[in-house]
Amino acid sequence: MTAIGASPAADRGRPSQLSSFLIMARRAVVGFFRQPAGWIVGSFFPLLITAVSASAFSRATQLRGFPDTSSFLQFLMAGTVLQGVLFGSITASTDLALDIENGFMDRLLASPVSRTSILISRLAGAATYGAGITVFYVAIFALFGAKVEGGIGGVAVMVVLMVVMAISVGGYGAAIGLRTGSAEAVGSSFPLVFILLFVSSAFFPVATMSGVYKAVAQANPLTQVIDASRHQVITGFDLGEAATGLAVALGVAAISIGFALTQLRRRLGAS
Amino acid sequence: MDHLIEAQGLERSFGDIKAVAGVDLVVAPGEIYGFLGPNGAGKSTTVRILTTLLRPTGGRATVAGFDVQSQANMVRRSIGVALQDAAIDPLMTGNELIRLQATLHGLRRKETSRRGGELLERVGLTEAADRRVGTYSGGMRRRLDLALALIHEPAVLFLDEPTTGLDPTSRMSLWDELRRLSSEGTTIFLTTQYLEEADELAHRVAIIDGGVIVKEGSPNDLKLAVGSPTLRVDVAEHQLEIAGRVLNGFGETRPARQGRLAIGLDKGAGELAKVVRGLDDQGVEVLHMELDAPSLDDVFAQATGRRLEGAAA
Repeated sequence: MTAIGASPAADRGRPSQLSSFLIMARRAVVGFFRQPAGWIVGSFFPLLITAVSASAFSRATQLRGFPDTSSFLQFLMAGTVLQGVLFGSITASTDLALDIENGFMDRLLASPVSRTSILISRLAGAATYGAGITVFYVAIFALFGAKVEGGIGGVAVMVVLMVVMAISVGGYGAAIGLRTGSAEAVGSSFPLVFILLFVSSAFFPVATMSGVYKAVAQANPLTQVIDASRHQVITGFDLGEAATGLAVALGVAAISIGFALTQLRRRLGAS
Repeated sequence: MDHLIEAQGLERSFGDIKAVAGVDLVVAPGEIYGFLGPNGAGKSTTVRILTTLLRPTGGRATVAGFDVQSQANMVRRSIGVALQDAAIDPLMTGNELIRLQATLHGLRRKETSRRGGELLERVGLTEAADRRVGTYSGGMRRRLDLALALIHEPAVLFLDEPTTGLDPTSRMSLWDELRRLSSEGTTIFLTTQYLEEADELAHRVAIIDGGVIVKEGSPNDLKLAVGSPTLRVDVAEHQLEIAGRVLNGFGETRPARQGRLAIGLDKGAGELAKVVRGLDDQGVEVLHMELDAPSLDDVFAQATGRRLEGAAA
């Protein structure tokens, strides 16, 4: 018997990798938003921190080294947006670990689809969330009088930067998920992301810091991304600043996805 | 090609542990091949190798004519897989998963709609198709899992313990579906730890233990090879002697508790009517009679010195 000839499955043309990627990405986005408990708290928590900070430190803008801004709330916008993106992205990246835990990953791996596609499409949920939460936060800040001086262009720069950062953090979470196969392990990496945020310019400008803390904050790539976004918010649209921030964000994304791909190859190699 | 699945000296080690230690098997087109063994025997590891999810550390295997290592993508295009525990995303609906699986296998939208509709109806999930899978019962998940595995009309269907954890009604329903698929020509590689399942469904059974196949053949042949069925008869004490003489004409005496006679029926269970007539002719009053045919568990016990039944559950 010519088995393969008799099989409609193999007679069918080669499956489209683009269609496969798109439908897996759609699953990632839909699945992410169907778990509101995973992202609703993460979406509002940064706003609460900002509300408390804005009222407690409103006079901080008078400190030496503080940039010229209309309010501390406006200064906080970029850091708050990144904070929301980081929280949501960790949640999104646990989904890949859940796929491994519940065996769905095996279903995908037993299909004729690119292995890299399986990983990258999983980050689509984080990317979509990154774009959505940026626009949502900008709107909330505007309601309280803090606007983006860079206008639509400035908001667009923020969206692009945050999408890339969402993918970066998602990739980092995916790498942990692939390494451990445990959604819990991905979730437990959350405090590390939080610490990274604290030693950045998210809450205060680097110019107001000193010593080791300042050195760490300056070297922290989150600072570069926040400062590039902040420039669009408090100064105005600036392509040069945007390019610097994007270069750093893309660098972080490349490292993070590279790390995740290495872990995927390791997992497949071990299997 | 004579065989849709072929394995030669297949091995897989995890560190010092050899999970599969030289499996040789062939599965013919349209056959239901039962892969029976206790937990940890190497069943799932073998399936994972054959479905390209795990690389062998020794030997070779082909599925649908393609090498599982060098032509893994062609193997994936040719097979349907339903692994243990119905790995289905609970956040998606049945229809969404059907569309996902169909797209991954290159089905066009129209074909997906037609084939998906047919399969969902066939497994009785048409009405639940737009509900999230998280709301499905275990039996519904298994049936959806089967539909997903079949969406692209694969040449070979791999089912890894498809009825584990199912209630008896769902199990019977799945068995009916597998029989139907087999009658339509689908080749099925079925791993199970249930003796009854292998006995009921499989054309041929391989018993795996410690990573090697210890017996292989049709369920009937395997059982017959173990020995003849045992007939046990209880009669009144004063009739034991005469009943013994009658029974000895049909086979050798086998050990039995006091007050009971037991023989091995040399010519099989078909002799039973003659035995009953013989006893009746001699005026023996039978108080109790039972026929104990060899089971696949006896086959397993003979091959390994251990019992599968009870240990497996």
